[in-house]
Amino acid sequence: MQIYLPIAEMPVNVFVIIALGASVGFLSGMFGVGGGFILTPFLMFLGISPAVAVATQSTQIVASSVSGVITHWRQGNVDFKMGGVLLVGGVLGSIVGIQVFNALKAAGQADLFIALSYVIFLGSIGLLMLSESLMAVRQGGSSVGGFKREPGGHYWIHRWPLKMRFQRSKLYISAIPPALLGFLIGLLSVIMGVGGGFILVPAMIYFLRMPTSIVVGTSMFQIIFVAAFSTLLHAITNQSVDAILALLLILGGVIGVQFGLRFATRVRGEFMRLGLAILVLGICLRLGLDLVVPPPDPFTVSAEASK
Amino acid sequence: MRLALAACLALAWATTAAAEELAAGISRDTIEITSNFTGTDVVTFGAIESEPGEAVIPGRARDVVVVIRSVEAMDATVRKKERFGPIWVNRETRRFAGAPAFYFVASTRPLKDIARSDALEQFEIGLDHLPIGPAPGAVGGPKDFRDAIVRAKKRVGLYSEHPGGVSFLSQTLFRTTAALPANVPAGNLKVIVYLFANGQVVSSNSMTLFVDKTGIERRLSNFAFNLPWLYGIAAVALSALAGFLSSLAFRERE
Repeated sequence: MQIYLPIAEMPVNVFVIIALGASVGFLSGMFGVGGGFILTPFLMFLGISPAVAVATQSTQIVASSVSGVITHWRQGNVDFKMGGVLLVGGVLGSIVGIQVFNALKAAGQADLFIALSYVIFLGSIGLLMLSESLMAVRQGGSSVGGFKREPGGHYWIHRWPLKMRFQRSKLYISAIPPALLGFLIGLLSVIMGVGGGFILVPAMIYFLRMPTSIVVGTSMFQIIFVAAFSTLLHAITNQSVDAILALLLILGGVIGVQFGLRFATRVRGEFMRLGLAILVLGICLRLGLDLVVPPPDPFTVSAEASK
Repeated sequence: MRLALAACLALAWATTAAAEELAAGISRDTIEITSNFTGTDVVTFGAIESEPGEAVIPGRARDVVVVIRSVEAMDATVRKKERFGPIWVNRETRRFAGAPAFYFVASTRPLKDIARSDALEQFEIGLDHLPIGPAPGAVGGPKDFRDAIVRAKKRVGLYSEHPGGVSFLSQTLFRTTAALPANVPAGNLKVIVYLFANGQVVSSNSMTLFVDKTGIERRLSNFAFNLPWLYGIAAVALSALAGFLSSLAFRERE
């Protein structure tokens, strides 16, 4: 069944879009990522312009993240304090990110820099996660980074000032590392044009050493704000949010996310990390191939209405 | 003196040439885009009429060209990927202006057989003769950058050329059917019919085809463009509501 999209100005198949929303929602519920990195290229593949694709996928991410956070919150699996600290850092990071992005663009070669850093970044995160989770799977334990969490255990993060108690995450650490992490994610997400969930989730697991069960809900909490801000920004500056497309994606997304959440509770933490590692490596591989495979048409055209 | 004579001769030739005139029409003047819109056909038809008392001049190379195009032009940015070590990256970027959002041309014969390039250029007939040039303040690029725009538009069905697409039903009656794609931009389209004789435009006829969203499609896109703030807030609020409702629905199932 075809339906015409008023902003994208083209028809799409209703069921294809709902199924797409549902699959991305499932991944989102499972791993705590937004899923824009899958949704945007797929919508563009269907012929939807990049501007509309980027703007509209963010509305679906708002819906599935809200749905996921509420469910996790009922189970006590969201660390709102941690989410808040990450968010403060994130806002500052995106402000700086816009400056960095413009500076890179002015210097030329922004594309090269972004593409390379993306691949290197994702590749190293993915490989680290893969080896760690494989090791954990083999040992049958749910330890993180190869050693057991000790309640009073110290490592370098504990020596920083501005200590805060994050009860949900069972952490008593300085607020600086999570704020710094949020800052970095904000910076990267502006430069790379993605929400950054698939960077945030591993970083919370390995860098902040949060329990895997808390990470998904907390990441989604932070993603709600990033996606809502992105939706607003696109709606106001480009008028590129397509309400019909959003509705269909949301319909699939909010159902998919609930199934993803349910599925995640049946899977042990190390298998979840293994799955995320494979996902991250998959994205890395796709981006890497885009870089080295000679393009069928070396030219890309983006058109916009004359001002 | 010789110049004046030449001008007089040219004028005389032009008036005799203009003895043939076009009468043309379109099967519909409004295309309404509704939620089940998947593209539509528009038939352009017409007749070549001669002045009263004059017969249609036989044996002349007579051609009809039908152009359907959007009036407003777009800006386009073209990037070219080049090899940089083992990887392909965007190196050169050029900005262009003057590309119509939609362009369809059908003709009785291939355009290059109908008229010379400069005549086609004058009336912007054919994809090779669109006034796509460097954007104000931008440097002109090699021709392959411009061609990339036409290629990209052709790929999504917004530009098309149909040599032989106009057929004569009799010596004077002609028609062509244009299949407008589902992604035809909303707004006014111009349908222009040209009559060529001996490589010159002797008559033309221009009509307007309204492409308009109706019903919910129209209301939504008006909302998005007229009240962008409210639209954005509504989009976020509805998404959050949908998320909230789904979490409720799934809790009750447990």
